[in-house]
Amino acid sequence: MGDKARILVVDDSIAIVNSLQSILSISGYHVDTAYNGSDALRKIYKNEYDLVICDIEMPGLTGLEFLGRVRQDFDRSLDVILMTGYLEHDYFIEAIRLGASDFIRKPIDTKQMIHSIQELMFRKGNRDDISGFFASLNKAKFCYEISAQNFTRFNISKVFNAHLRQRFKVNFDVINEVLVCVDEMVYNAFIHGTLGLSVEERALGHNDLQAVINAKLDNPAIHARNLHIGLEIDNTDESIVISVEDEGPGFDFTKWLDTVKSFQMLDIKEHGRGLSLLYHLSDSLEFSNEGRKVTIRKSLLHTGKHEA
Amino acid sequence: MNIELTISGNIAAMKIDGILNSENAHVLQEKLSEVMQSEAKVLELDLLDCRNISSTGIGKILLFYKDFISKGGDIEVVRSSNSVYELFTMLKLNQLFTVNLG
Repeated sequence: MGDKARILVVDDSIAIVNSLQSILSISGYHVDTAYNGSDALRKIYKNEYDLVICDIEMPGLTGLEFLGRVRQDFDRSLDVILMTGYLEHDYFIEAIRLGASDFIRKPIDTKQMIHSIQELMFRKGNRDDISGFFASLNKAKFCYEISAQNFTRFNISKVFNAHLRQRFKVNFDVINEVLVCVDEMVYNAFIHGTLGLSVEERALGHNDLQAVINAKLDNPAIHARNLHIGLEIDNTDESIVISVEDEGPGFDFTKWLDTVKSFQMLDIKEHGRGLSLLYHLSDSLEFSNEGRKVTIRKSLLHTGKHEA
Repeated sequence: MNIELTISGNIAAMKIDGILNSENAHVLQEKLSEVMQSEAKVLELDLLDCRNISSTGIGKILLFYKDFISKGGDIEVVRSSNSVYELFTMLKLNQLFTVNLG
């Protein structure tokens, strides 16, 4: 790693934060600070850090809870070292399960802490070579095909989140909007296009809905259907193109699209909220193949609709 | 996505963190059912750390809103992130209930 590592120090003790900030700054790192877990979470979604050093015992969001949230969104791409004055067995098991990168015992042994940071930054450097390669490409295209049956086993937003965050340097706010677009597209392709669920079926509670979905998937015609997801990143104009296609009967998209373009207010009874969101979050929205395929294009530089 | 719900007297306070989408909207639905079955007359939504909401999540909130106002309840978004505030404004949900930013 050519640049100095950026470290976020999180502790509810001002004295410990100040002390770590001094030690790490003298050691050549860029240091930012937070005094509770919620503030730290907000910071990691706004800024880019290489490493977080976080106390376990904090009021509000604890260090373990913070780690759990980080792993939900960043998988293993952001290292987190936990600090504790109490080396209790339960902490270790939970922290390892959640994916802590290392532990620091309080009172802090400076040498051991710097050694741990250097080790983690060396490993991160190897990972950065991979993301650096993807960031250097002019264009990257990915095509995925998955059966309807297998589709239900995965959290697709989480898969895309990890894919985009780990391989491409994309602004967090833009990623959040991309993830909402992906969610709208795959949800529509699965619920409407693949399964053909009625309004009444869609309004069912979670368990009843799952039972209906499982019953639909037992139908050989539906079971044989696949979902096709395309992802194209163009680094030359910093845009992303996402397409989702189902193998269902298609639908008359022109009426819906006209409604969404001309009427932005959605009332309680209104249908087509997903389409409206897609239209407003993307720079362009197109349907093809008789409504089976939806494609959006979105700038990676702007949130919301980019008015060209 | 994480939801914390506390009900005290006629006030229900719900804090939603992360992205609310079709894969986790049922968790919100369960929490909203708890509010509906309680004595709460006001639902205070804290969406400061909610980074975005998909149409499925909005649908759950709107369905709840319809039933909640019919039993004399009200919703207020006490805090919201920029993206959620923009979304609620764009969909004109701020005409149904109060939506505060930040």
